[in-house]
Amino acid sequence: MSSVPQTARPGASIRDLPLDELRGIYAMWCVIATEGSLFVCLFCAYFYLGNGKQRWADNNPPGMTYPWIMLAVMLFSAFILRWGEGQVKRQRYAAGRVALLFTILFGLGFIALQYFSYRSQLQTLAPDSNSYGSIFYAISGLHVAHVVVGIFLLAYALVLPRYAPARESPFRPYQTVALYWYFVNFLWIGVFIVMYAIPNLIVHG
Amino acid sequence: MNIVEVEARLTELWERPKTLRGWFATVDHKELGIRYLVTAFTFLLIGGVEALLLRIQLAHPNNAFLSPEVYDEIFSMHGITMIFWYAAPILSGFAVYLVPLMIGARDMAFPRLNAFTYWAYLISGIFLYIGPFMGQAPHAGWFSYMPYTNSTYSPSLGMDFYALALILLTISTTGGAINFIVTILRLRAPGMSISRMPLFLYSTLTVSFVTLFSLPALTTACVFMELDRRWGTHFFQISGGGDPVLWQQLFWFFGHPWVYIIFLPATGMISLIVPVFSRRPIVGYPYVAIATILTGLVGFSVWLHHMFTVGLSDMAMSFFSAGSMTISIFTIVQVFAWVATVWKGRPVATASMHYALGAIAMLVIGGLSGVFTGIIPVDWQAHNTYYVVAHIHYVLIGANLFPVFAAFYYWLPKITGRMLNEELGKWSFWVMFIGFNVGFFPMHILGLLGMPRRIYTYEAGLGLQPLNLLLTIGAFTLGVGILLSIINLLMSIKVGEIAGRNPWNSDGLEWETTSPPKAYATVHLPTVATRHPLWDDYAEESDPDGDRILDRGRLTLTTSWLDAEPRAIATIQKDTLAPLVLSLVMFVFFAAFIFHWMWVGLAAFVVSFAVGFYWMWTRPGQAGI
Repeated sequence: MSSVPQTARPGASIRDLPLDELRGIYAMWCVIATEGSLFVCLFCAYFYLGNGKQRWADNNPPGMTYPWIMLAVMLFSAFILRWGEGQVKRQRYAAGRVALLFTILFGLGFIALQYFSYRSQLQTLAPDSNSYGSIFYAISGLHVAHVVVGIFLLAYALVLPRYAPARESPFRPYQTVALYWYFVNFLWIGVFIVMYAIPNLIVHG
Repeated sequence: MNIVEVEARLTELWERPKTLRGWFATVDHKELGIRYLVTAFTFLLIGGVEALLLRIQLAHPNNAFLSPEVYDEIFSMHGITMIFWYAAPILSGFAVYLVPLMIGARDMAFPRLNAFTYWAYLISGIFLYIGPFMGQAPHAGWFSYMPYTNSTYSPSLGMDFYALALILLTISTTGGAINFIVTILRLRAPGMSISRMPLFLYSTLTVSFVTLFSLPALTTACVFMELDRRWGTHFFQISGGGDPVLWQQLFWFFGHPWVYIIFLPATGMISLIVPVFSRRPIVGYPYVAIATILTGLVGFSVWLHHMFTVGLSDMAMSFFSAGSMTISIFTIVQVFAWVATVWKGRPVATASMHYALGAIAMLVIGGLSGVFTGIIPVDWQAHNTYYVVAHIHYVLIGANLFPVFAAFYYWLPKITGRMLNEELGKWSFWVMFIGFNVGFFPMHILGLLGMPRRIYTYEAGLGLQPLNLLLTIGAFTLGVGILLSIINLLMSIKVGEIAGRNPWNSDGLEWETTSPPKAYATVHLPTVATRHPLWDDYAEESDPDGDRILDRGRLTLTTSWLDAEPRAIATIQKDTLAPLVLSLVMFVFFAAFIFHWMWVGLAAFVVSFAVGFYWMWTRPGQAGI
């Protein structure tokens, strides 16, 4: 009970401490952890429902054209956003905002592509045709929902006026929403592999 | 430095205006904590009345007090209310109130999120109870197995209210978990390194992480259920290649970790209360801390023991049976630590200590019957009988209700500023303890005699009658015991002795504040030099230069998560109505879902983001000091 008490690093007085900027990032990582678990559950359900079934993805795998384009759109939007992050870090806010705007446009493009992809997909498979259709549309639909949420978050960072006045905080909200957008990107890679690439590889590969 | 001026400035910064708007807009963790406690306790009373109705029905064979349908609805509402809307939220209530005080912070890391999680919790509970008042209650127990809950066998809106209320509750609970994680990791007082945290923080932190990783399974299950019921999908319908067992897998992947979510914080509270009333530090602090974390971790590998009768592979069942046994080791580590603390200390028989020790005794019984049900052949025998009902109640009442009462008797003087009557408290304890054991122990025997759970009546001459009558008497006795404590509380608020700062001579930082605490907690943010800051006295704890007053704004300190070295100054957001409005908008969203108002739902979705923007908006000058 009488261990040596710990103190601040030498010289660091409490008066001189900077403003805290890390809580938002911590919280976003928690959001990502729980949303990631949601998709783990969904993928588990996907494999569970497919286990030992005759007609499962393999006979009639979903086409790869749209997913490839959507993957490219997603990754490209992430690169733009990453670039914008660097700009804001160097206090070039206008460039940062332009990057946000383009990321949002790419996000909207992704949603449009998913709409067309659904339209062609629905001719052969509907959510209520069988359990494969149910889980297929549930996973991709929930992913689109996450894209929508991501766009709203990006829009928030876009319209946020000059962020906070004090010291160097403007960078943080940008970084936090960007983190969510990378996560949505990452999710699409997962969806792409599990629901499109693997079935096609099994059948054609 | 004029102390009166400083206090006035801090009060001005932190205290909410005494207006109606101020009441709804407050983000003060102390007020929200009290609201959590009151709301959760109300749900306990509602669930308790439902339980008594069930016991009246079962007191005699062939009783017609409740029709079979109503009986189903009431036992479902009883389970749902107790497990989801009482057991976890009451612990959140204590945590919301106590965690910032225990770590010496002036509020949670995200005070507005804290307000939102409370309002969303309240509104989800109201949402759940709309169903029964429309005559369309859930009727399939708290775990609502498919296919009994699909639209063919359950055409009313009851299961829709169940699924959507739970989704709303998971949003609230997840938000709360994130708040606790960031608060506990970042906002601890300087010097409160990870090896000096009160054990309650370990358990709250553990269950917050467990919440993050387990609740999505419930969300998934409820979303699938709604899609099946509303849009004819085939997640759980055999006809389209679905599988009803998928529901069980998802539900129990969430469900068993949930048991630890409503159990671990309660053990954390016992780990604080028992040492104080044994007048010594807890025995084996690191072991208790590690056992807490391991319980949360291994809690993810036991869920299949709810499904031993489904017909799974022997390999899978053996693995999960072993997992279930393993977890009892971690519980036993905690139990032995408590027993050793009492043994080595000089115990004081306060009412709170009565409840804590009673809880330990019943937790051991509930834990042992849990080991039995973890053994596959025994489980096949006991499954879906009253034996399981006995087990779950020994665990939940032993490891949740009694610790919660111990905590009430321990912390209410801090919260209300007045002592409870010790004599009446002990009376209440003994009535509850005897009532509970009379009301639940015979269930083990009834279960082994073969009485199935959830049956609305039984034939005379099966030998079940005398014990059932005894159970009913016990249940009512338990109710009387709880009533005594409520009377005690109401009396103490009126005529209780003034508690003072630290009536129990406790060690935790929360006792450094006045009772009830000021809106800003303490003038000088505390530092910590040992595990028991109020039992030890160190020079670091004083603040002669007033460095740790931080009265330039709504501020508190952040520290590094491992060593708790000061790192930054955190701004704490001001009061706002946004969290309340957001939860109301979500209520509209879910109601729109129930009643097929698609455009209203879509509008609510968009409006929720508008409210979110308003909530997060950084106004000029606000973030700066």
